[in-house]
Amino acid sequence: MLVVDRLTFAYRDQATPYQFSFDAKPGEITAISGPSGSGKSTLLDLLAGFLSPVSGTIATNGTNIVRLPPEQRPVSLLLQTESLFEHLTAARNVALGLSPKTPRTETKVAVDAALNEVGLSGFGARLAAGLSGGQKQRVALARTLLRARPVLLLDEPFSALDDGTRGQVRSLVVRLTSFHCWHTILVSHHIDDINAVAHRHYRLDNQKLALV
Amino acid sequence: MQSLPQRRNRIVISLTLAALITGVIAAVLWAILAAATTVSDSGSSRIDILHLLRMTSIQAGLTTLISLLVGTALAWALNRLRFPGRNMLIGIFSAAIVTPGMVVAFGMLSIWGRSGWINQASLAMFNVSIGNPAFGLSGILLAHVILDGAFAARILLARLDSIPQERLKTGQSLNLSPWTRFIILDWQAMRGTLPGLAAIIFLLAFTSFPIVLLLGGGPANQTLEVAIYAAVRQDFDLRGAVLLALTQIGVCSIIIFSAAALPAVPSSLGPSSTKSWRDRAWALGLAWIVLGLATLGFVLPLASVLVDGLAAGLINLLSTVSFWHASATSLIVGSISALLTLTFTLALSLGRSASASQQLRIVLGLPAYAYLAVPAVVLSLGGFLLVRSMGIAPGAAAPYVVVFANALLALPFAVATLGPPLDTIARSRGKLIRSLGLSSWQQFKLIEYPLLGRDVGVVLALSFCFSLGDLGVIALFGTQDFTTLPLLMFRALGAYRSDDAAAIAAILLIGTIAAFEALPRLFERLAHARR
Ligand SMILES: Nc1ncnc2c1ncn2[C@@H]1O[C@H](COP(=O)(O)OP(=O)(O)O)[C@@H](O)[C@H]1O
Ligand SMILES: [Mg+2]
Repeated sequence: MLVVDRLTFAYRDQATPYQFSFDAKPGEITAISGPSGSGKSTLLDLLAGFLSPVSGTIATNGTNIVRLPPEQRPVSLLLQTESLFEHLTAARNVALGLSPKTPRTETKVAVDAALNEVGLSGFGARLAAGLSGGQKQRVALARTLLRARPVLLLDEPFSALDDGTRGQVRSLVVRLTSFHCWHTILVSHHIDDINAVAHRHYRLDNQKLALV
Repeated sequence: MQSLPQRRNRIVISLTLAALITGVIAAVLWAILAAATTVSDSGSSRIDILHLLRMTSIQAGLTTLISLLVGTALAWALNRLRFPGRNMLIGIFSAAIVTPGMVVAFGMLSIWGRSGWINQASLAMFNVSIGNPAFGLSGILLAHVILDGAFAARILLARLDSIPQERLKTGQSLNLSPWTRFIILDWQAMRGTLPGLAAIIFLLAFTSFPIVLLLGGGPANQTLEVAIYAAVRQDFDLRGAVLLALTQIGVCSIIIFSAAALPAVPSSLGPSSTKSWRDRAWALGLAWIVLGLATLGFVLPLASVLVDGLAAGLINLLSTVSFWHASATSLIVGSISALLTLTFTLALSLGRSASASQQLRIVLGLPAYAYLAVPAVVLSLGGFLLVRSMGIAPGAAAPYVVVFANALLALPFAVATLGPPLDTIARSRGKLIRSLGLSSWQQFKLIEYPLLGRDVGVVLALSFCFSLGDLGVIALFGTQDFTTLPLLMFRALGAYRSDDAAAIAAILLIGTIAAFEALPRLFERLAHARR
């Protein structure tokens, strides 16, 4: 379980602070919707550790992680765009999910397996810059596989994709979430996406989350 | 900002280095100040500081004004015109920043001098002599504008290139006249950069050494730098030199502190990609005229250096031992200072891009300006006084001082080249780097170096070329055993061996342009191979 309890935060000069409370189950996709500027990315930044809350807790399986720096949190991150380093190959990007001390052969096997799992075997040697939007997101998901962190944060991951690819990537997220028992938090303002994949849906409005 | 990767080591290293550079500069200043109070008043100094200040300011002011005008016109013309060889021509103008002042001064003499091409042509065709505009204030201004006008054009061209495509499309659909487009699109794009650019050009002209030394023709048109050199080397007036150095530092510091408040000037040494714009015929004609004149003005003096140098004295020069000796010295000094500049620049810029605190960023930005406040001859004079006060023979310390001073010389331009892109990477990819938990080394090897290979090459090229063409530092420190090519050229000129001087000028020119063109490409390749 991921339990967020009264996580409070305000940008400088912000009158009413955000106060987030929600929980997410393993193997499920928890969607967060809300108008643009309502604070969805802010919530993800708090969960990933890029912003420090004034008070409140974030607990994964009973442990409070709110004081951990981003690199130590049990969290993977997938942004709308820019999830990959464009100048590196797909395989290199995926391998960044492993510790740099992992032996070469082991890395290669793991990277190939991960690319295979997202349906991109044979794409390892391609430069990320040359991949389509959907392929990029799948490579980023392959990296998430190697990182094996229990929480996956997705910030508008499908909005840059066309309809066909959108469906593919969406069902891949569903499959990986349930297979690897991730707590997937999906931020989106597309109600179609949410209806198609979410197990639970919170709406962010007036600095608070409400279950829909 | 916690989305910046935490790099305590980078910050500690760059702070240490900043402290070290500041310490050396402070020691140099201290040596100058100490000399000012202790050097015995050996008779009255003949130096008229106020007169020098006035003349130098007039010269630098005029240089700035004319260079900005020429630069704006040239940038406009290059922005509008498409032709085969455009990239190469822009590359040549970009090289103005590294073209040694000595070489340009020499080219000026052979084009505009009494026996130069233009006077010869004028005599032959109209039987009228144009006199000798290569000497005195006109010569200094011409030479400065050749270099600084091209430099300004390159920077302003980058501003014009950055005008968004959509804005151009809108302008084109409104059928803007060339003049209206200039006012509402081009001027808007360039305006912000002009004050900072003016400050840089003013500083470059104010501290100009070789051009003024060769073309000034005596005390009437000296800069403070040249006056310091003359005081030390010709008049043995150490006290006068020290007073001049203090004045110089004061004026430069004032300019830098006021310039620090201005918007930063990006170094813009990459290729230019301009969107096309359909212009009226008269505007295109004007652009061609501007481009033609600018190209002649810039390329002719350099071409004449090559013609003179490769024709006359080359074979003779190649057979002298002193030439090979000086070449080796120049190559070694240039290479070591290039590596030193790169190390300084990387350490300072990596630390700076990892700092979230604004104060820290300012502190780490300061060493880059050190050289501008303490220009070559002053730094050299201070180093000279410092090693002397430590009881070391200046001759023995010369190589170290020359390498270190030359490394500092290129630092402001080097930091302006590598700093902004490193900042951009840290800001735009920081979250991803941090959430993946990449180590500092992984971040450098996999992300920063591959993306910045070309800029690394630019930094090396800048520093190598500055150092290869330097006369200001070596002039005070050079000895019979420790001579670089520019110093050898200067001595040849002093001994009226102008064939030798011409040949050295040609070699310096070829060396700087080759390094400036080749190093960025080489490093772009190397970085890509590591992908
Ligand atoms: N670094 C910041 N400093 C101050 N205000 C910010 C900052 N980042 C975002 N905001 C503001 O906080 C609000 C929420 O932003 P964000 O979380 O990005 O919204 P969303 O992702 O829902 O569109 C917006 O009004 C935005 O302007
Ligand atoms: Mg957002």
